[in-house]
Amino acid sequence: MKFVDEFRDPGLGRVLAGQILAEVEPGRRYKVMEVCGGHTHSIYKYGVDDLLPANVELVHGPGCPVCVIPMGRVDDGIAIAHEPGVIFTCFGDMMRVPGSRGSLLEAKAAGADVRMVYSPLDALRIAKANPDRQVVFYAIGFETTAPSTALTLMRAKAEAVPNFSVMCNHVTIVPPLRALLESPDLRLDGFIGPGHVCTVVGARPLRFIPAQYERPVVIAGFEPLDILQAIHMILRQLAEGRCEVENQYTRVVPPDGNRRALEVMAQVFELRPHFEWRGLGFISQSGLKLSAAYADLDAELRFGVPGVRVADPKACQCGEVLKGVIKPWECKVFGTACTPERPIGTCMVSSEGACAAYYNFGRFAREREVV
Amino acid sequence: MRVLAVDDARGLALCAAPDGARSSVEVALVGPVAAGDALLVHAGTALTRLEPAGA
Repeated sequence: MKFVDEFRDPGLGRVLAGQILAEVEPGRRYKVMEVCGGHTHSIYKYGVDDLLPANVELVHGPGCPVCVIPMGRVDDGIAIAHEPGVIFTCFGDMMRVPGSRGSLLEAKAAGADVRMVYSPLDALRIAKANPDRQVVFYAIGFETTAPSTALTLMRAKAEAVPNFSVMCNHVTIVPPLRALLESPDLRLDGFIGPGHVCTVVGARPLRFIPAQYERPVVIAGFEPLDILQAIHMILRQLAEGRCEVENQYTRVVPPDGNRRALEVMAQVFELRPHFEWRGLGFISQSGLKLSAAYADLDAELRFGVPGVRVADPKACQCGEVLKGVIKPWECKVFGTACTPERPIGTCMVSSEGACAAYYNFGRFAREREVV
Repeated sequence: MRVLAVDDARGLALCAAPDGARSSVEVALVGPVAAGDALLVHAGTALTRLEPAGA
Protein backbone atom coordinates (compact mmCIF):
# COMPACT_ATOMS: atom_id res chain seq x y z
CA MET A 1 0.00 0.00 0.00
CA LYS A 2 1.30 3.43 -0.99
CA PHE A 3 2.69 5.56 1.90
CA VAL A 4 2.78 2.51 4.18
CA ASP A 5 4.64 -0.50 2.79
CA GLU A 6 7.76 1.45 1.90
CA PHE A 7 8.03 2.59 5.52
CA ARG A 8 7.94 -0.98 6.88
CA ASP A 9 10.81 -2.41 4.85
CA PRO A 10 12.79 -4.76 7.16
CA GLY A 11 16.02 -4.36 5.16
CA LEU A 12 15.95 -0.58 5.46
CA GLY A 13 15.08 -0.99 9.13
CA ARG A 14 18.27 -2.97 9.69
CA VAL A 15 20.28 -0.32 7.82
CA LEU A 16 18.82 2.40 10.07
CA ALA A 17 19.49 0.28 13.17
CA GLY A 18 23.13 0.08 12.05
CA GLN A 19 23.29 3.84 11.57
CA ILE A 20 21.82 4.37 15.06
CA LEU A 21 24.42 2.02 16.52
CA ALA A 22 27.17 3.98 14.76
CA GLU A 23 25.87 7.25 16.19
CA VAL A 24 25.77 6.31 19.90
CA GLU A 25 28.62 7.16 22.18
CA PRO A 26 29.68 4.03 24.10
CA GLY A 27 29.08 4.39 27.82
CA ARG A 28 26.55 7.19 27.41
CA ARG A 29 22.91 6.48 28.23
CA TYR A 30 20.23 8.09 26.07
CA LYS A 31 16.63 8.61 27.11
CA VAL A 32 14.33 9.61 24.26
CA MET A 33 10.64 10.30 24.88
CA GLU A 34 8.08 9.52 22.25
CA VAL A 35 5.37 12.02 23.12
CA CYS A 36 2.53 10.46 21.17
CA GLY A 37 0.66 7.28 22.04
CA GLY A 38 0.56 6.39 18.35
CA HIS A 39 4.34 6.12 18.42
CA THR A 40 4.22 3.96 21.55
CA HIS A 41 1.82 1.62 19.78
CA SER A 42 4.05 1.34 16.69
CA ILE A 43 7.20 0.85 18.76
CA TYR A 44 5.75 -2.21 20.49
CA LYS A 45 3.80 -3.51 17.53
CA TYR A 46 6.83 -3.57 15.25
CA GLY A 47 9.45 -4.25 17.93
CA VAL A 48 11.32 -1.01 17.19
CA ASP A 49 12.89 -1.02 20.66
CA ASP A 50 14.44 -4.44 19.96
CA LEU A 51 16.48 -2.84 17.17
CA LEU A 52 18.00 -0.20 19.42
CA PRO A 53 21.32 -0.41 21.26
CA ALA A 54 20.98 -1.22 24.97
CA ASN A 55 21.97 2.30 25.99
CA VAL A 56 19.16 3.95 24.00
CA GLU A 57 15.97 3.89 26.06
CA LEU A 58 12.56 4.94 24.78
CA VAL A 59 10.40 6.64 27.39
CA HIS A 60 6.66 6.82 26.81
CA GLY A 61 5.03 10.23 27.01
CA PRO A 62 1.64 11.71 27.86
CA GLY A 63 0.23 11.88 24.32
CA CYS A 64 -2.55 9.32 24.54
CA PRO A 65 -5.81 11.31 24.57
CA VAL A 66 -7.86 8.66 26.34
CA CYS A 67 -5.21 8.02 28.99
CA VAL A 68 -5.16 11.57 30.30
CA ILE A 69 -8.93 11.88 30.99
CA PRO A 70 -9.39 12.01 34.78
CA MET A 71 -12.01 9.93 36.58
CA GLY A 72 -14.11 12.97 37.48
CA ARG A 73 -14.63 13.82 33.79
CA VAL A 74 -15.70 10.22 33.07
CA ASP A 75 -18.18 10.46 35.96
CA ASP A 76 -19.49 13.75 34.55
CA GLY A 77 -20.01 12.11 31.15
CA ILE A 78 -21.84 9.18 32.72
CA ALA A 79 -24.08 11.59 34.64
CA ILE A 80 -25.12 13.21 31.34
CA ALA A 81 -25.56 9.79 29.70
CA HIS A 82 -28.08 8.87 32.41
CA GLU A 83 -30.17 12.02 31.81
CA PRO A 84 -33.60 11.05 30.41
CA GLY A 85 -33.80 11.09 26.63
CA VAL A 86 -30.06 11.53 26.05
CA ILE A 87 -28.11 9.68 23.37
CA PHE A 88 -24.50 9.87 24.51
CA THR A 89 -21.84 9.39 21.84
CA CYS A 90 -18.09 8.91 22.12
CA PHE A 91 -15.13 7.21 20.47
CA GLY A 92 -14.90 3.46 21.07
CA ASP A 93 -11.91 3.35 23.40
CA MET A 94 -13.44 6.05 25.62
CA MET A 95 -16.31 3.71 26.42
CA ARG A 96 -14.15 1.43 28.55
CA VAL A 97 -12.33 4.11 30.56
CA PRO A 98 -13.15 3.55 34.22
CA GLY A 99 -14.68 6.34 36.25
CA SER A 100 -15.18 6.07 39.99
CA ARG A 101 -18.44 4.12 39.50
CA GLY A 102 -17.80 2.21 36.31
CA SER A 103 -17.36 3.08 32.66
CA LEU A 104 -19.62 4.38 29.91
CA LEU A 105 -19.89 0.80 28.67
CA GLU A 106 -21.22 -0.23 32.08
CA ALA A 107 -23.59 2.75 32.01
CA LYS A 108 -24.85 1.43 28.67
CA ALA A 109 -25.37 -2.00 30.22
CA ALA A 110 -27.36 -0.30 32.99
CA GLY A 111 -29.72 1.25 30.45
CA ALA A 112 -28.11 4.51 29.27
CA ASP A 113 -28.13 5.02 25.49
CA VAL A 114 -24.37 5.23 24.87
CA ARG A 115 -23.24 4.84 21.28
CA MET A 116 -19.81 4.54 19.71
CA VAL A 117 -19.00 6.88 16.83
CA TYR A 118 -15.98 7.23 14.56
CA SER A 119 -16.25 11.00 14.27
CA PRO A 120 -18.15 13.98 15.70
CA LEU A 121 -19.85 14.19 12.31
CA ASP A 122 -21.39 10.76 12.99
CA ALA A 123 -22.74 12.13 16.29
CA LEU A 124 -24.29 15.10 14.47
CA ARG A 125 -25.88 12.71 12.00
CA ILE A 126 -27.44 10.78 14.91
CA ALA A 127 -28.78 14.09 16.28
CA LYS A 128 -30.41 14.93 12.95
CA ALA A 129 -31.95 11.46 12.75
CA ASN A 130 -33.34 11.72 16.31
CA PRO A 131 -34.79 15.25 16.61
CA ASP A 132 -36.79 14.33 19.72
CA ARG A 133 -33.67 13.22 21.66
CA GLN A 134 -30.73 15.21 23.03
CA VAL A 135 -27.47 13.95 21.46
CA VAL A 136 -24.21 14.66 23.27
CA PHE A 137 -20.73 14.07 21.82
CA TYR A 138 -17.99 13.45 24.39
CA ALA A 139 -15.03 15.14 22.71
CA ILE A 140 -11.51 14.05 23.57
CA GLY A 141 -8.13 14.43 21.93
CA PHE A 142 -5.23 16.74 21.28
CA GLU A 143 -4.92 19.29 18.47
CA THR A 144 -5.27 16.44 15.96
CA THR A 145 -8.90 15.80 16.90
CA ALA A 146 -9.99 19.25 18.07
CA PRO A 147 -10.41 20.67 14.51
CA SER A 148 -12.83 17.85 13.73
CA THR A 149 -14.98 18.73 16.75
CA ALA A 150 -14.73 22.43 15.82
CA LEU A 151 -15.94 21.81 12.26
CA THR A 152 -18.85 19.71 13.50
CA LEU A 153 -19.87 22.43 15.96
CA MET A 154 -19.74 25.01 13.16
CA ARG A 155 -21.86 22.71 11.02
CA ALA A 156 -24.35 22.17 13.89
CA LYS A 157 -24.68 25.93 14.32
CA ALA A 158 -25.00 26.62 10.59
CA GLU A 159 -27.63 23.92 10.18
CA ALA A 160 -29.35 24.93 13.46
CA VAL A 161 -29.44 21.45 15.00
CA PRO A 162 -31.00 22.25 18.39
CA ASN A 163 -30.61 18.82 20.00
CA PHE A 164 -26.82 18.47 19.56
CA SER A 165 -24.18 19.45 22.11
CA VAL A 166 -20.57 18.66 22.96
CA MET A 167 -18.88 17.89 26.27
CA CYS A 168 -15.42 19.22 25.54
CA ASN A 169 -12.34 17.46 26.95
CA HIS A 170 -9.86 18.56 24.31
CA VAL A 171 -6.34 19.21 25.53
CA THR A 172 -3.19 20.77 24.12
CA ILE A 173 0.21 19.13 23.95
CA VAL A 174 2.61 21.91 24.94
CA PRO A 175 1.60 22.46 28.62
CA PRO A 176 2.13 18.82 29.70
CA LEU A 177 5.47 18.73 27.87
CA ARG A 178 6.56 21.84 29.71
CA ALA A 179 5.41 20.25 32.98
CA LEU A 180 7.47 17.15 32.18
CA LEU A 181 10.55 19.21 31.36
CA GLU A 182 10.17 21.04 34.67
CA SER A 183 9.84 17.74 36.53
CA PRO A 184 12.94 16.92 38.58
CA ASP A 185 12.46 13.14 38.48
CA LEU A 186 12.92 12.73 34.74
CA ARG A 187 16.02 13.43 32.66
CA LEU A 188 15.37 13.24 28.94
CA ASP A 189 17.87 13.66 26.10
CA GLY A 190 15.41 14.29 23.26
CA PHE A 191 11.87 14.02 21.98
CA ILE A 192 10.19 12.21 19.11
CA GLY A 193 7.61 14.89 18.24
CA PRO A 194 3.92 14.07 17.72
CA GLY A 195 3.50 13.85 13.94
CA HIS A 196 -0.23 14.27 13.63
CA VAL A 197 -0.53 17.04 16.23
CA CYS A 198 2.13 18.91 14.22
CA THR A 199 0.08 18.39 11.04
CA VAL A 200 -2.27 20.88 12.68
CA VAL A 201 -0.01 23.11 14.80
CA GLY A 202 3.21 22.91 12.75
CA ALA A 203 6.70 22.82 14.22
CA ARG A 204 6.75 26.24 15.87
CA PRO A 205 4.97 25.36 19.17
CA LEU A 206 7.70 22.80 19.93
CA ARG A 207 10.58 25.24 19.50
CA PHE A 208 10.56 26.10 23.20
CA ILE A 209 12.02 22.64 23.90
CA PRO A 210 15.40 23.32 22.22
CA ALA A 211 15.27 27.06 22.98
CA GLN A 212 14.53 26.87 26.69
CA TYR A 213 15.41 23.30 27.69
CA GLU A 214 18.17 22.52 25.16
CA ARG A 215 16.71 19.22 24.01
CA PRO A 216 16.41 18.13 20.36
CA VAL A 217 12.98 17.36 18.88
CA VAL A 218 12.32 15.38 15.71
CA ILE A 219 8.72 15.34 14.47
CA ALA A 220 8.11 11.81 13.25
CA GLY A 221 5.68 9.64 11.33
CA PHE A 222 4.17 6.47 12.72
CA GLU A 223 5.65 3.67 10.63
CA PRO A 224 8.64 1.76 12.03
CA LEU A 225 11.13 3.34 9.62
CA ASP A 226 9.84 6.81 10.51
CA ILE A 227 10.53 6.17 14.19
CA LEU A 228 13.97 4.63 13.58
CA GLN A 229 14.96 7.54 11.35
CA ALA A 230 13.72 10.05 13.95
CA ILE A 231 15.82 8.36 16.65
CA HIS A 232 18.83 8.50 14.34
CA MET A 233 18.21 12.22 13.71
CA ILE A 234 17.98 12.92 17.46
CA LEU A 235 21.21 11.02 18.15
CA ARG A 236 22.92 12.88 15.29
CA GLN A 237 21.85 16.22 16.79
CA LEU A 238 23.24 15.15 20.15
CA ALA A 239 26.50 13.92 18.58
CA GLU A 240 26.96 17.18 16.68
CA GLY A 241 26.00 19.30 19.67
CA ARG A 242 22.98 20.68 17.82
CA CYS A 243 19.61 21.26 19.36
CA GLU A 244 16.62 22.13 17.17
CA VAL A 245 13.21 21.01 15.92
CA GLU A 246 13.58 18.84 12.82
CA ASN A 247 10.81 17.32 10.72
CA GLN A 248 11.19 13.70 9.68
CA TYR A 249 7.51 13.49 8.64
CA THR A 250 7.71 15.94 5.73
CA ARG A 251 5.31 13.89 3.61
CA VAL A 252 2.51 14.88 5.99
CA VAL A 253 3.61 17.74 8.28
CA PRO A 254 3.87 21.20 6.70
CA PRO A 255 6.24 23.55 8.59
CA ASP A 256 3.41 25.89 9.56
CA GLY A 257 0.78 23.24 10.20
CA ASN A 258 -2.74 23.66 8.93
CA ARG A 259 -3.70 27.33 9.20
CA ARG A 260 -7.37 26.74 8.50
CA ALA A 261 -7.54 24.13 11.27
CA LEU A 262 -6.01 26.61 13.72
CA GLU A 263 -8.51 29.26 12.62
CA VAL A 264 -11.56 27.06 13.19
CA MET A 265 -10.19 25.98 16.57
CA ALA A 266 -9.70 29.64 17.55
CA GLN A 267 -13.30 30.39 16.57
CA VAL A 268 -14.89 27.54 18.45
CA PHE A 269 -12.67 26.98 21.50
CA GLU A 270 -11.00 28.95 24.22
CA LEU A 271 -8.46 27.89 26.82
CA ARG A 272 -9.67 26.81 30.23
CA PRO A 273 -7.72 28.42 33.08
CA HIS A 274 -6.71 24.93 34.16
CA PHE A 275 -7.64 21.33 33.37
CA GLU A 276 -7.04 18.14 35.31
CA TRP A 277 -4.98 15.39 33.66
CA ARG A 278 -5.09 11.85 34.94
CA GLY A 279 -1.96 11.21 36.91
CA LEU A 280 -0.49 14.63 36.15
CA GLY A 281 -2.88 16.79 38.19
CA PHE A 282 -4.05 20.26 37.21
CA ILE A 283 -2.09 21.95 34.41
CA SER A 284 -2.88 25.56 33.66
CA GLN A 285 -4.10 26.57 30.21
CA SER A 286 -3.91 22.98 28.97
CA GLY A 287 -7.57 22.27 28.19
CA LEU A 288 -10.11 23.69 25.76
CA LYS A 289 -13.76 24.60 26.28
CA LEU A 290 -16.35 25.99 23.91
CA SER A 291 -16.06 29.73 23.33
CA ALA A 292 -18.86 32.12 24.30
CA ALA A 293 -20.15 32.08 20.71
CA TYR A 294 -20.72 28.32 20.99
CA ALA A 295 -21.87 28.22 24.63
CA ASP A 296 -25.37 27.17 23.52
CA LEU A 297 -23.83 23.92 22.21
CA ASP A 298 -21.88 23.23 25.41
CA ALA A 299 -23.26 20.06 27.06
CA GLU A 300 -21.77 21.05 30.41
CA LEU A 301 -23.93 24.19 30.42
CA ARG A 302 -26.97 22.51 28.89
CA PHE A 303 -27.11 19.69 31.44
CA GLY A 304 -25.02 20.81 34.36
CA VAL A 305 -22.45 18.26 35.49
CA PRO A 306 -21.44 17.23 39.01
CA GLY A 307 -17.85 18.37 38.35
CA VAL A 308 -16.56 16.43 41.33
CA ARG A 309 -12.84 15.78 41.46
CA VAL A 310 -12.12 12.09 41.97
CA ALA A 311 -8.70 10.85 43.04
CA ASP A 312 -7.06 8.17 40.89
CA PRO A 313 -7.21 4.63 42.34
CA LYS A 314 -4.32 4.06 44.75
CA ALA A 315 -3.16 0.87 43.05
CA CYS A 316 -2.97 2.55 39.65
CA GLN A 317 0.30 4.15 38.58
CA CYS A 318 -0.89 5.66 35.29
CA GLY A 319 0.53 9.01 36.36
CA GLU A 320 4.06 7.64 36.58
CA VAL A 321 3.60 5.78 33.29
CA LEU A 322 2.31 8.94 31.55
CA LYS A 323 5.29 10.90 32.84
CA GLY A 324 7.67 8.16 31.72
CA VAL A 325 8.94 7.70 35.28
CA ILE A 326 8.14 3.98 35.30
CA LYS A 327 7.68 1.41 32.54
CA PRO A 328 4.25 -0.22 32.20
CA TRP A 329 5.43 -3.52 33.66
CA GLU A 330 6.77 -1.76 36.76
CA CYS A 331 3.23 -0.83 37.83
CA LYS A 332 2.04 -3.03 40.69
CA VAL A 333 -1.18 -4.07 38.97
CA PHE A 334 0.10 -4.38 35.36
CA GLY A 335 -1.13 -7.56 33.70
CA THR A 336 -2.61 -8.94 36.92
CA ALA A 337 -5.46 -6.83 38.32
CA CYS A 338 -5.23 -4.43 35.35
CA THR A 339 -5.62 -5.92 31.86
CA PRO A 340 -7.19 -4.62 28.63
CA GLU A 341 -10.25 -6.75 29.41
CA ARG A 342 -10.66 -5.27 32.91
CA PRO A 343 -8.61 -2.07 33.04
CA ILE A 344 -8.05 -0.17 36.28
CA GLY A 345 -6.07 2.62 34.67
CA THR A 346 -6.56 4.47 31.40
CA CYS A 347 -3.16 3.47 29.97
CA MET A 348 -4.48 -0.10 29.73
CA VAL A 349 -7.65 0.96 27.88
CA SER A 350 -6.68 2.73 24.70
CA SER A 351 -4.63 1.03 22.01
CA GLU A 352 -2.40 4.12 22.23
CA GLY A 353 -1.87 3.64 25.97
CA ALA A 354 1.60 2.49 26.89
CA CYS A 355 0.31 -0.32 29.12
CA ALA A 356 -2.11 -1.71 26.50
CA ALA A 357 0.55 -1.48 23.78
CA TYR A 358 3.05 -3.26 26.00
CA TYR A 359 0.51 -5.84 27.18
CA ASN A 360 -0.57 -6.66 23.63
CA PHE A 361 2.80 -6.73 21.89
CA GLY A 362 5.75 -6.56 24.26
CA ARG A 363 5.12 -8.66 27.32
CA PHE A 364 5.99 -11.97 25.70
CA ALA A 365 9.43 -10.71 24.74
CA ARG A 366 9.97 -9.64 28.32
CA GLU A 367 8.78 -12.98 29.65
CA ARG A 368 11.44 -14.64 27.49
CA GLU A 369 14.06 -12.30 28.95
CA VAL A 370 12.97 -13.02 32.52
CA VAL A 371 13.08 -16.79 31.94
CA MET B 1 -8.07 7.52 2.61
CA ARG B 2 -8.79 7.84 -1.07
CA VAL B 3 -11.43 10.32 -2.32
CA LEU B 4 -14.22 8.65 -4.32
CA ALA B 5 -16.62 11.55 -4.80
CA VAL B 6 -16.89 15.15 -3.64
CA ASP B 7 -19.99 16.99 -2.41
CA ASP B 8 -18.85 20.61 -2.72
CA ALA B 9 -22.13 22.07 -1.50
CA ARG B 10 -21.84 20.31 1.86
CA GLY B 11 -18.03 20.43 2.16
CA LEU B 12 -17.85 16.66 2.38
CA ALA B 13 -16.14 13.92 0.39
CA LEU B 14 -16.96 10.23 0.23
CA CYS B 15 -13.68 8.46 0.96
CA ALA B 16 -12.53 4.85 1.12
CA ALA B 17 -10.02 3.48 3.61
CA PRO B 18 -7.42 0.96 2.39
CA ASP B 19 -9.65 -1.86 3.67
CA GLY B 20 -12.52 -0.56 1.54
CA ALA B 21 -14.56 0.95 4.37
CA ARG B 22 -16.28 4.13 3.18
CA SER B 23 -17.15 7.23 5.15
CA SER B 24 -18.01 10.91 4.75
CA VAL B 25 -15.06 13.16 5.42
CA GLU B 26 -14.92 16.90 6.17
CA VAL B 27 -12.60 18.47 3.58
CA ALA B 28 -12.86 22.12 4.64
CA LEU B 29 -9.29 22.14 6.01
CA VAL B 30 -7.50 20.86 2.91
CA GLY B 31 -8.96 22.98 0.13
CA PRO B 32 -10.43 21.66 -3.08
CA VAL B 33 -10.12 17.89 -3.46
CA ALA B 34 -10.85 15.65 -6.41
CA ALA B 35 -11.63 11.98 -6.83
CA GLY B 36 -8.43 9.98 -6.54
CA ASP B 37 -6.70 12.29 -4.03
CA ALA B 38 -5.10 10.64 -0.98
CA LEU B 39 -5.96 12.34 2.32
CA LEU B 40 -4.78 11.91 5.88
CA VAL B 41 -8.06 11.67 7.79
CA HIS B 42 -8.42 11.90 11.53
CA ALA B 43 -11.78 11.56 13.31
CA GLY B 44 -13.70 12.18 10.09
CA THR B 45 -11.74 15.26 9.05
CA ALA B 46 -9.04 15.48 6.39
CA LEU B 47 -6.01 17.19 7.93
CA THR B 48 -3.65 17.09 4.99
CA ARG B 49 -3.32 15.89 1.45
CA LEU B 50 -0.65 13.28 0.78
CA GLU B 51 1.38 14.39 -2.20
CA PRO B 52 3.06 11.47 -3.96
CA ALA B 53 6.08 13.69 -4.64
CA GLY B 54 6.61 14.20 -0.93
CA ALA B 55 6.38 10.53 0.01
